[in-house]
Amino acid sequence: MSYTIASNLKQAIKILKESDGKAQVIAGATDLFLENLPSELVDVSAVPEILGITRGKDFLSIGAGVTHAEAAASSVIRSEAEALSEACRIVGSPQVRNMGTLGGNVINAAPAADAAVALVALGAKAVLTDLYGSSREAFVVDLYGGYNRSSVDSSAEILMRFLLKPAQRGEGSAFLRFAPRAALALPLVNAAARIRVEQSLIKEARIVIAPAKPAPTRLLETEKLLLGAKPGLDLWQKVKSTASSEIEVRGSMLRCSEEYRCHLVGVLARRVSQQAVVRAMEAE
Amino acid sequence: MKEQVINFQLNDEPVNVYSDPSLSLLKLLRNRFNLLGTKEGCGRGDCGVCTVLLDGRAVNSCLIPAGKVQGRNVCTIEGISSKSTAKAARFHPIQQAFVEKGAVQCGFCTPGMIMSAFALLQENPSPSKEEVREAISGNLCRCSGYKQIEEAVLEAAKVMICQKEHPGFK
Amino acid sequence: MPIDKEKGFDAKNNSSGATVNQGPDVWAKAAGRALYGIDLQLPGMLYGKILRSPHPHARIKAIDTAEADALPGVRAVLTASDIKKKRYGIVVQDELPLAYDRVRYIGDEVAAVAAVDEKSASRALEALNVEYEPLSAVFEPKAALAQGAVQIHDQFPGNIAWQRELERGNPDRAFKEADLVVENSFSIPSVHPTYLEPIACVASSDYPGNLTIHTALQSPDIVRDIIAGALELPFSKVRIVGPVMGGGFGGRVYGNLKLYLLSSLLSQFTGLPVKMQLSREEEFCIGRPMIAAELKIKMALRSDGTFLARESEIVTDNGAYSAQAPWVSKTLSERNDSVYRIPNIRTRACLVYTNKVPTAQYRAYGNQAANFACESLIDQAAEKLGLDPLQIRLNNCTQAGDTTVHGLKIKSCALKDCLKEAAAKIGWSNRNKNCGYGISAGIHASGSLVANKDFRGASARAVLELDGRVTLFSGEQDYGQGTYGAFTNIAAGVLELDPDLFSLNCRDSLITPYSQGALANRQTTIGGRAVQLAAADLKKLIEEAASEMAGEPVRMEKGRLKSNDGSIMELAAVAVYYHNRTSGLTLTGEGSYVPPPVEYDETSYGNISVTYSFAAHAAEVEVDRETGAFTIKRIASVHDSGRIINPLAARGQVYGGVAQGVGFSCYEGYLFDRGRVVSKTLADYRIPTALDVPHIACCFIETTDPEGPLGVKGLGEVVQVPVPGALANAVADAAGVRVTELPITAEKIYRAISKGECAR
Repeated sequence: MSYTIASNLKQAIKILKESDGKAQVIAGATDLFLENLPSELVDVSAVPEILGITRGKDFLSIGAGVTHAEAAASSVIRSEAEALSEACRIVGSPQVRNMGTLGGNVINAAPAADAAVALVALGAKAVLTDLYGSSREAFVVDLYGGYNRSSVDSSAEILMRFLLKPAQRGEGSAFLRFAPRAALALPLVNAAARIRVEQSLIKEARIVIAPAKPAPTRLLETEKLLLGAKPGLDLWQKVKSTASSEIEVRGSMLRCSEEYRCHLVGVLARRVSQQAVVRAMEAE
Repeated sequence: MKEQVINFQLNDEPVNVYSDPSLSLLKLLRNRFNLLGTKEGCGRGDCGVCTVLLDGRAVNSCLIPAGKVQGRNVCTIEGISSKSTAKAARFHPIQQAFVEKGAVQCGFCTPGMIMSAFALLQENPSPSKEEVREAISGNLCRCSGYKQIEEAVLEAAKVMICQKEHPGFK
Repeated sequence: MPIDKEKGFDAKNNSSGATVNQGPDVWAKAAGRALYGIDLQLPGMLYGKILRSPHPHARIKAIDTAEADALPGVRAVLTASDIKKKRYGIVVQDELPLAYDRVRYIGDEVAAVAAVDEKSASRALEALNVEYEPLSAVFEPKAALAQGAVQIHDQFPGNIAWQRELERGNPDRAFKEADLVVENSFSIPSVHPTYLEPIACVASSDYPGNLTIHTALQSPDIVRDIIAGALELPFSKVRIVGPVMGGGFGGRVYGNLKLYLLSSLLSQFTGLPVKMQLSREEEFCIGRPMIAAELKIKMALRSDGTFLARESEIVTDNGAYSAQAPWVSKTLSERNDSVYRIPNIRTRACLVYTNKVPTAQYRAYGNQAANFACESLIDQAAEKLGLDPLQIRLNNCTQAGDTTVHGLKIKSCALKDCLKEAAAKIGWSNRNKNCGYGISAGIHASGSLVANKDFRGASARAVLELDGRVTLFSGEQDYGQGTYGAFTNIAAGVLELDPDLFSLNCRDSLITPYSQGALANRQTTIGGRAVQLAAADLKKLIEEAASEMAGEPVRMEKGRLKSNDGSIMELAAVAVYYHNRTSGLTLTGEGSYVPPPVEYDETSYGNISVTYSFAAHAAEVEVDRETGAFTIKRIASVHDSGRIINPLAARGQVYGGVAQGVGFSCYEGYLFDRGRVVSKTLADYRIPTALDVPHIACCFIETTDPEGPLGVKGLGEVVQVPVPGALANAVADAAGVRVTELPITAEKIYRAISKGECAR
């Protein structure tokens, strides 16, 4: 048995167990280019336990097997996690969005993965199940093990779903990317923000950008600056300069220079925060 | 990978094939089923030339492991025209519109482009210009500048709505 | 669909004629039934693969093939020691099918294998052991020209593949007398035609030594010449059969000669057909992009904006082998001088070998690169003189009746009207303050005659079949630009018959007349004229045979054969009559169109083309000053391509050509890291998607050219020429700073803006 489409979680776990670490989990397969695949694969994209989008009383659960297209089309995600909705709408191409899953986007661990950036900004937690039936929760950002390397061992754990806090009163989120082409392009920088305002003051802020480190990166200094502040020109100017200076980015011949990427980090951090604030105020 | 049997619906017919499941669906279609209408432009999902429908959705067949189509429904360019022998009836309205609106130049992107248009019109029977552009944004075309393709898809949408409302309409 | 008999082949108002207008294979393409090079399979076919150099420059010390030879499924392993060391080339002879002593770029062909399947062929490549001694390499023309630089080809000292110095008028005096001199430097990277079908071929050599190559080419007969020469085969033993072509854009004029030669050699060695195909990565890394260019230009003007002189220093980057790069360099350095009246010219152009991917050509032949530089400089001058960019162009543009500075005789030219119309379409007189606007003009030879002075024209045959249908034979090639539809319409118009009665044979060199092929905008202009003459000849022959058969004069009118008394004869009956009388001949009309001789002197002064097409484009862009990001909102594309005989296909050429121009200007360009191509996927070499191509307003201003056969002039190439200039000027207008390096990217605009702000 070398390529199996698991019809449920139990079956997927059984195969992983029996393969003795040789079998690996696969979902949308869009990032694999079908080169040098492991000899045994368990396709979990049809496993019902990792599908579906549910709105609970105080949580939003998004299956790891949900595709970008499904997430982009979901009205629940649009209203409760707008940044994720925006990120999913712009990944790759319609074809890739139809196959690629949110779980795959995180496990593939590309440093500029759009959905992952949004998930980190939204404070999403991942729920993982091991082969012995025990579950664990981890922040998405903690699933990264290095550049293009996940810390999740796909032969021993299955990423089940993402848990998010739904949008609260006075809260808004947004996603932006800066790419050299309108479709089929990797971004030079992408950014997401989740911001809560109360009586026109920023009470909570999570600002995330990529690519900078292996994982989507929170701009902690910028967030500090935003906390308690009243949105205004002055603040936005400071957000831009703080964001630009607080983390190091790399340049590359194919994308852009370090200097320009650094500038874009500032601009996008500001723009995405502004957008999130506008939405937060509308939701107040 | 070891070969295994893969059963699926291909252009509305049940088929089974003994194949390496890590082979791409594109290679499976071209090399095993001789369906040469699905073309290969890059092999890594960058051009959309190999677009087919998987359960009605446009996908890059070069990125799909053959094992993944087990039990599913695959539709290629060869599957969208009817089997009738009369030329006018044989072609799908999208194919018809592509020819009439000048949307076919070298033709290499055409099958994939038509499949993306097909998926769009199934989901959204009267799309706007912008929605058409979005739906074909994963299909590169080097000849046309996309304008006449956009015009063809909009025209096909009109014809298909008309045909739905007036079943005898040609 | 029948065409309007009154109008003959004029399809202008004939929207219902779409089927035939677009040629015979359009339905097959829409159905997914058209077969391209990658689809071909012959019985017993082997798969060939090529071992390529990992070094930019190295000596080959030894190649050990024993291990590869012994692998199961491997049928042939070829190295340079197995084949004759006969150099070949298109302009200069600098290539061998396989490198024998030295490799000159990363990707240079070292060995070729043929095996029963692709996997075995790949395994054979892995089993080949090559010992290299790396040599120092040069990657930039400047470094290659430096004293003491490593010599890439012994027979080209100084690494100069080609060079030229040219002077017209008295530029020194003009610069002295000028009120204003502006200058700037521009750089343009290599670009790939990026046809969507990677090049593929199947070569099949039989035991009597006949070689058939199945591959789609723009100029199959010229390639046939080169292959016969390189393999030392009699020309008549080489046949090229073309499948459908998945795009060409100049890149398939010669296609990939290495691939054809190596598959042929492998087939000769094995006696079996051999298929070879480039991967997309190979297309970028070893396929032939257009030359990169550095231009330093200086322009002299009077204070009223009159152009007095232009001086250019141009260095083009040839890469490791030359192909058509000298010709592209020549067009790049010269053609643009004829867009405007510039009486004094001095040009120094130099094509330099480097240890990078060999180059060739692309649609518009470098003319678009020159447009970027020259049109940018004109706007710089206009700004200095306080003149309107439109007005300065109207005041200087070439007009009908002109003989340009290089001796081009302009017999028809609507450039002035094109400029006015492009401006009107973009709203020049009512420009939005938040946007930037740019305008630019271009000329392109239509039916260029310089490729072969002695073989300037084209020929065609029209055969009346026994069933009354007509078969046309032409060697011209259609890859979607509508040539075949045009030919059918032209012949149908002459004979006044339904286009559905026509069949076309163009893709088999065994049966089609020798042709120069799809280059230099000569398909419809020259090839179409030959078809027209062949159809006219056939008409005459039909009338003669019918008269003989009837024993009285018979005339062909409105597609029907009528004798004096009004009785009507069937075409098929006449065909059969002639066939029987001659025991097997068919009525065959022949058409040969030979354009007037070209006259140019040793400095290349003279009228080098049958006629010339013109275009003016205007662009509207919006720039986000904070990031440099820009949006192209609209492009107005106005053309003088003579008479437009197929508006649907003509519009298709404009939209597609402008889109490629947008790619050339804002997205595309090779990136290298020490000679290695970095932009080697369609994700990293970005051509525009459907969301990147702006709204294009397209308009034709029809002229009647006395020389242009049928009154038509070329369109496919000139359409790309003015795009870079229009976009560069629009961006400069919007951003207040000028980007002088293509492609124009957000980062470059941002840098220019930041630099400008620092200076202030």
